[in-house]
Amino acid sequence: MTTLEVRGLTKTFHKLCAVDDVSFTLTPGRTVALVGESGSGKSTIARMIARLVRPTSGEIVLTGQDGEPVPQRKYRDHVQMIFQDPFASLNPFHTVEHHLARPLRLHGRSRAEVPHLLERVSLTPDFAHRRPHELSGGQRQRVAIARALAPGAKVIVADEPVSMLDVSIRLGVLKLLARLQREENLAVLYITHDLATARHFSDEVLVMHRGRIVERGDSDDVLTRPEDPYTRRLAAAAPDPETRFSSARFSRGGPS
Amino acid sequence: MTNLSPLTEVTPEVPRSRNRWRGLLPRWSPRLGAGLGLAGAIVLFGLIGPLLTSDPATIRDIGLTPPSGEHVLGTTVTGQDILAQLALSTRGSLQIGLLVGIMATLLSGVFGIAGAYAGGVVDEVFSLFSNVMLVIPGLPLVIVIAGFVPPDQRGTATISLVLAITGWAAAARVLRAQTLSLRNRDYVAAARVSGEKTWRVICVEILPNLLPILASQFVFAVVLAILSEAGLSFLGLGAANSSTLGTMLYYAQNGFALQREAWWWFVPPGLIIALFGGALALINFSIDEIINPKLRDRARRKRDVVAVLPETAAAEQDAVLTVKNLNVVYQADTPVHAVKDVSLTLRRGEILGLAGESGCGKTTLAYAINRLHRPPAEVTSGSVVFHDRDGEDIDVLALAPEELRAFRWVKLSMVFQGAMNSLNPVTPVRAQLQDVLRTHRSDMSTSDREQQCVEVFRLVGIDPERLGSYPHELSGGMRQRVMIATALLLDPQVMIMDEPTTALDVLVQREILNEIRRLRDELSFAVVFITHDLPLLLELSDRIAVMRDGEVIEYSTAEDLYLRPQHPYTRQLLASFPSLTGERGALIP
Repeated sequence: MTTLEVRGLTKTFHKLCAVDDVSFTLTPGRTVALVGESGSGKSTIARMIARLVRPTSGEIVLTGQDGEPVPQRKYRDHVQMIFQDPFASLNPFHTVEHHLARPLRLHGRSRAEVPHLLERVSLTPDFAHRRPHELSGGQRQRVAIARALAPGAKVIVADEPVSMLDVSIRLGVLKLLARLQREENLAVLYITHDLATARHFSDEVLVMHRGRIVERGDSDDVLTRPEDPYTRRLAAAAPDPETRFSSARFSRGGPS
Repeated sequence: MTNLSPLTEVTPEVPRSRNRWRGLLPRWSPRLGAGLGLAGAIVLFGLIGPLLTSDPATIRDIGLTPPSGEHVLGTTVTGQDILAQLALSTRGSLQIGLLVGIMATLLSGVFGIAGAYAGGVVDEVFSLFSNVMLVIPGLPLVIVIAGFVPPDQRGTATISLVLAITGWAAAARVLRAQTLSLRNRDYVAAARVSGEKTWRVICVEILPNLLPILASQFVFAVVLAILSEAGLSFLGLGAANSSTLGTMLYYAQNGFALQREAWWWFVPPGLIIALFGGALALINFSIDEIINPKLRDRARRKRDVVAVLPETAAAEQDAVLTVKNLNVVYQADTPVHAVKDVSLTLRRGEILGLAGESGCGKTTLAYAINRLHRPPAEVTSGSVVFHDRDGEDIDVLALAPEELRAFRWVKLSMVFQGAMNSLNPVTPVRAQLQDVLRTHRSDMSTSDREQQCVEVFRLVGIDPERLGSYPHELSGGMRQRVMIATALLLDPQVMIMDEPTTALDVLVQREILNEIRRLRDELSFAVVFITHDLPLLLELSDRIAVMRDGEVIEYSTAEDLYLRPQHPYTRQLLASFPSLTGERGALIP
């Protein structure tokens, strides 16, 4: 049971408070969604958990399966990140195999696992020898997911994993993440600005506004019956054709 | 890209390259061929020449004989064979060039790449040092240093070192800038997250992407070194006991070759320097093309005659814009048919949604309607007819440049993708609005112009006080409103909006959408709204055209499209947007 606990996390950039006293816990088998607009501080949280940015104050505690805190140098065996833009997160110079074999080797595993990793993200083993420009956006993001899984990570931070992808392939990638999460009992932090996918793909939702968490709770409760005024405005702003045509659907009895 | 199944992802068709280095090689072009051929010939001459020619030091009593059968390039004042000297000197110059090139590239690599990656104080110090080295004038310093070292210690190595030390700084700055950009790429962050060590991140993740720049800087350093060395030697400050093209010129000068009109003595070494410099420059151009593919020569064809279809059927009753069988082709090496036989009708005051994913041709279509497409894009057939308020029909594709200018923005305006970042940052927005009026309504008085600007700002819901603001003082949403205000200035009948809200947050997007709807109701212009966000279009538009691979695959009212989608792709798109209100849990497998 690898658990990641974030306590009182704060980050200030030149007096600007990007993240203000944020606390939450990621537990295996559960997805926590962090929703908010650009500039709300959600990506900064992701980068602090991935250890790309140092917090100003607060702590991130990782507890291993034995109940003991995970030593610092083992941190990256357990916590991995999926980046937003699959066109930027894969090195154009290297093959898919390099992207997967390196994390495998760094965490004491064999590069012979590459085909297996590719299969887990629904790609065929022959993708190993391709380079990023030969892949579509969705395929690239699958490779990025495989890379995050390569060290055997149990906590995955997914920073807007589908917002740069074409709409018709977004759900496929999200479903893949959901399946992996269930199969591997992962703890997932799903960062997004899209309330609808947050509701469908997470158990708990944290709504961020200007660095603070303004509302949190069960994802269905928070997003269908929001209490905080900001969450309410967010929910109301999302385009929703259903309200426009619901009367037409009833009067004409069209197919749903 | 003809993938019939709508449910599978399209993989970009890129020629598979077995060799990972192939992407780093310059594309073959006559320029590169000429450069490589010339440089290769000179290098070969320097390598093999000294073996085939006679001893260049042999003194004969046939001073200053012009080129003849025995001495192809003639002799010096002391009767030495110039061809033999030339071969040996070329070799000497190339050696120095190569040595300096390697040393300067190493120095610039260490100071540019390592400094930029380390960041912080190290970067500051390294960068300061490079800047200091850069402003020190190179040749005078070289002269001072070379003059300071006693001639007997002035070997080739010393001279090369001096040239390398004075020649690396500019390259270091270029490398630093590029490394600063590369180190913030996500793939570098990803390598750090997977736990890669710093030196590995630099050598394996960053360095390969810098190779074209390194190569180009190396080539440049070689040219510079050969030229500087020639200059030094010509002044008599070159390496002792060496023979380079510079020393040849030095002896030619001392032997009064110019005064005695012995051109065969000084022209060949000068020519070799010039030709080698030119050849390397040609190679460098080709390397630059790897770094910046925009420099590549496009196949510029003569514009094919646009086959404008005659207006056959009468236009729809209240139509304001009729697009018929429009085809747009990108004339690349393999032509890309970006818009295929598209026919659309825009009614007066209607909001027409154009939905599709990246690369489906929706933006190309919008640009072609306004004739804003640039080569290599070309309208190959079809017609775009604008039906003016006063009943006149305008064939947009047949407009002359002057007429086109009068047509654009006046009758049909555009709000571009990412337009909010396309405002000029150095002038207040008022000046940018007035510019439009000055161009199209030159007869308007200054006060009328101001009045009109205030008017459109009120229309889009911005306080007219803000006309004096600079773009950076406005929020993203405000800037987008300014762009819409600019598009409204001339009371157009059609407004084409290309992803006007994609870069905005949902709350701001909602405001802008409400604004567009309100303005449409008040001013009754027609809108072509382009986006990938189908739910947004379903909520906003009257009719929707769904595009895929350049074709309109479904075209109907928003209601029909939502309740009775016909094409499987439309259904797939609709299913791609989970609802905030619908049943939960159905999506998780």
